[in-house]
Amino acid sequence: MRFVSFRPATSVLAATALLLIATAPSQAQTRAETLRYVTGSAVNTLDPNIPGSTRESFALSMSTYDRLVAFGRKQLNGKWVFDLDTITGELAESYDVSPDGLKLTFRLRKDAKFQDGSPVTAEDVKWSLDRCVTAPILGKAQLLTGSLTSADQFKVIDPLTIEVTLPKPDKLALPNLATVYPMIINSKLAKSHATADDPWATAWLKEHTAGSGAYVVETFKPGEQVILKRDEAWNRGSANKPAFFKRVIVQSVPEPATRANLVERGDADLVVDLQASDVQSLEAKGKLKVVSTPQYNAITYVSMNNQMPPFDNVNVRRAIAYALPYDDMFKAALFGRGAPLFGATWPDGKPLNGIYPFQQPVKLDLDKAREYLKAAGLPEGFSTTFSFNVGQSSTAEPMAALVKESLGKIGIKVDIQKLPDAQMSTQINEKKLPFYTEGIVAWLPSTDYFYRNFYTGNQRWNYSSINNPDLATIAQEARFEPDKAKYEEAGRKLNAMHADLMPQIMLWQPNQDAVMAASVEGYTYEFHRQVDYRDVSRK
Amino acid sequence: MTTGLGATLLRAGRRLLSSLPALFGVLVFTFLLMRVLPGDPAVFFASGPNAGKEEIEQIRKQMGLNRPVPEQLVFYLSDIGHGNLGRSMMTGQPVLKDLRERLPASLELTFTALLIALIAAVPLGVLAALRPGSIVDHGVRLFCALGVCVPTFVSGLLLIYVFYYLLGLAPDPTGRIDVFTSLPPQRTGFLSIDFLLAGDVEGWWAACKQLILPAVSMALFVIAPLARITRASMLVSLGSDFVRTARSVGLSWHKVVVTYALRNAILPVITIAGIVFSTMLGANVLVEKVFSWPGVASYALDALLSSDYAPVQGFVLLMASLFVLVNLVVDICYGIADPRVSIE
Repeated sequence: MRFVSFRPATSVLAATALLLIATAPSQAQTRAETLRYVTGSAVNTLDPNIPGSTRESFALSMSTYDRLVAFGRKQLNGKWVFDLDTITGELAESYDVSPDGLKLTFRLRKDAKFQDGSPVTAEDVKWSLDRCVTAPILGKAQLLTGSLTSADQFKVIDPLTIEVTLPKPDKLALPNLATVYPMIINSKLAKSHATADDPWATAWLKEHTAGSGAYVVETFKPGEQVILKRDEAWNRGSANKPAFFKRVIVQSVPEPATRANLVERGDADLVVDLQASDVQSLEAKGKLKVVSTPQYNAITYVSMNNQMPPFDNVNVRRAIAYALPYDDMFKAALFGRGAPLFGATWPDGKPLNGIYPFQQPVKLDLDKAREYLKAAGLPEGFSTTFSFNVGQSSTAEPMAALVKESLGKIGIKVDIQKLPDAQMSTQINEKKLPFYTEGIVAWLPSTDYFYRNFYTGNQRWNYSSINNPDLATIAQEARFEPDKAKYEEAGRKLNAMHADLMPQIMLWQPNQDAVMAASVEGYTYEFHRQVDYRDVSRK
Repeated sequence: MTTGLGATLLRAGRRLLSSLPALFGVLVFTFLLMRVLPGDPAVFFASGPNAGKEEIEQIRKQMGLNRPVPEQLVFYLSDIGHGNLGRSMMTGQPVLKDLRERLPASLELTFTALLIALIAAVPLGVLAALRPGSIVDHGVRLFCALGVCVPTFVSGLLLIYVFYYLLGLAPDPTGRIDVFTSLPPQRTGFLSIDFLLAGDVEGWWAACKQLILPAVSMALFVIAPLARITRASMLVSLGSDFVRTARSVGLSWHKVVVTYALRNAILPVITIAGIVFSTMLGANVLVEKVFSWPGVASYALDALLSSDYAPVQGFVLLMASLFVLVNLVVDICYGIADPRVSIE
């Protein structure tokens, strides 16, 4: 009858321990030639043009497809970033812009081949660009910003020359051709998979690639991982040789702490979406390389709905701008990892330059905020809600608490509202949120582009719903202004209006913190805010 | 006794039929619920840097959201009738394909976790019941309390920290298999079985190593209810007349405790195990996230956050069907554990 043994429990523990004692992992010899990139999101389509495609899909397509042209890179405070002003040929060997700026002529490389071995011709380029402006895909809205709207604008001159005509000399036409969407597709291959309902083969291209890019897709598991193999014949890189890594593994790891562990243990080589706190501790340990670049084409805002009381009153908006605890928010949300857009001093009350985004001349000053509230006729304050989306809660949650506390001091009662991502974007689109935080990103950051897309029109990206005809006119005119001095003047005017009207408050540009193994080199901050696998190599 | 098996099967069949209306109800309810929830998937998925009204309309049309809701429902039901669960905007794949790929991952994990939990919980419960109030009993209670009060993602992160990060014993917690290992031909979808069928012992070992940590962190959480119910039910059974009689006639310890007491005490444990299994399958989303496990629960959560209707509906339908199935299995297990059970 005696039974005082723990045998079952101990044997379970022993079995567990046994199972965990790993036999040496059979790593492939090519580990050094493999880049393992981990990310919280996932690739969901091989064609970035499909509505709903993720940023990872954008990055992937940069390596699987070539474009006519590509952005160069430059150093900004010692870090490599993409350079909007240097545009080099990718599939184009060279290009010319006519003196009146209305004609762009591209001469294709003679040696460029698609991954199936067929040569890249001007016909393929035309089909691809036609697809981008005609098919119901994402490229349409993007190319519109560069005055590229119709298939008639693309003309095949000879098998290796293509000409693009513009209705107006648009500065953004050429840069637009270097963005994600106008990728060059093997038109013969794609057409053979097109159907009557789907003449542009969007369904097929979603799951297959037909490009000339540096990498070939080996396996694609949507939402989990993609494995890429180097195309040995590809020579569009900077030094006319194939990309460095023989294999690239793009893997989804949803938990940020796990991603941090992976890269610290050396199992992953590169990650760009860690939590600020993890980045800080990894940087302090000093074993890994951390490249922090302020995302100079992205901005985080506190937005107010300019059409909705009480935020339709400019003095209320000014009061809020002086009542935010900027420094505390910056530390709590980002651990100070980013470029602040507050706390500037404008000696004569005028903008320092015509570049947007700019550092605003605002800081925490509760007395001033109270004065503005009084001027608005609301000395007792009011109640409102402050919304942010669940996806951003790691940065927005501490920020919202500080906003609530600080506005409470001047009598504004704030309820914090945390919304699921889809719900948040719906409400923003319907202009129902009075007061919230959200971010934007522009692929082609120029002052007029920011003002035209984010401060005009009754559309989703006009977060503040500002409707100011003067601002809209100046921004529209600046778009086609060839004279640099006049453009700068227009920018200064717009910035001065922004500081005066305070439609929304620019907070900061968060850092892109790329954490990588010490041996990884060449990381560049790209316009799509992901890693271009062609940039990196191993020492 | 002769008709025992027949009766069980008959009962199972009747149960299955009577659950069909419930399944239909779940289908319609989820469909309506998704559409009532605020959040427009079209706006969410039209999130490219330049997506405007036109793109939103485009997606709405593609998802069929431009039609009135009753019409959408009819289309949806007819699609389901044809075995089509729709397409996920998130992964761009048919939902059926996604679920078929992900369900084995979830099932494998949940089965393993339940097995570990049962192997640990039943002996613990029996031990505690044999010596109520003793150190052993208190020890079991403490262990159970700890298991329940530590959320699974905390224990998961803790296990990763110790076994992967500090000791380096466990492989990296990124899914079902090391990225450098090649997969076996897919037969059952359960990697541990597929590797064995393919005769690849090394691969099987690699898959098992990936499975251990997530399974243990899930098991820790459910050991408590299972052990507590075993203990309670064993106490009743040990105190009953037949055990006293068995003891008095001098039957061996093993015969008294295992054959008579435990067999009589196991019914409630089976019930709870069934419930625990269904709950685990749907609720292990945190473990799936922490271990990057490509299962159905994390898939459904991502879909829910982005208001991606089709996957959420597909997931709920799958869960409801599984629940029906698990209940059936529990019913059949009853019949085997206690042939007297035959009442409806």
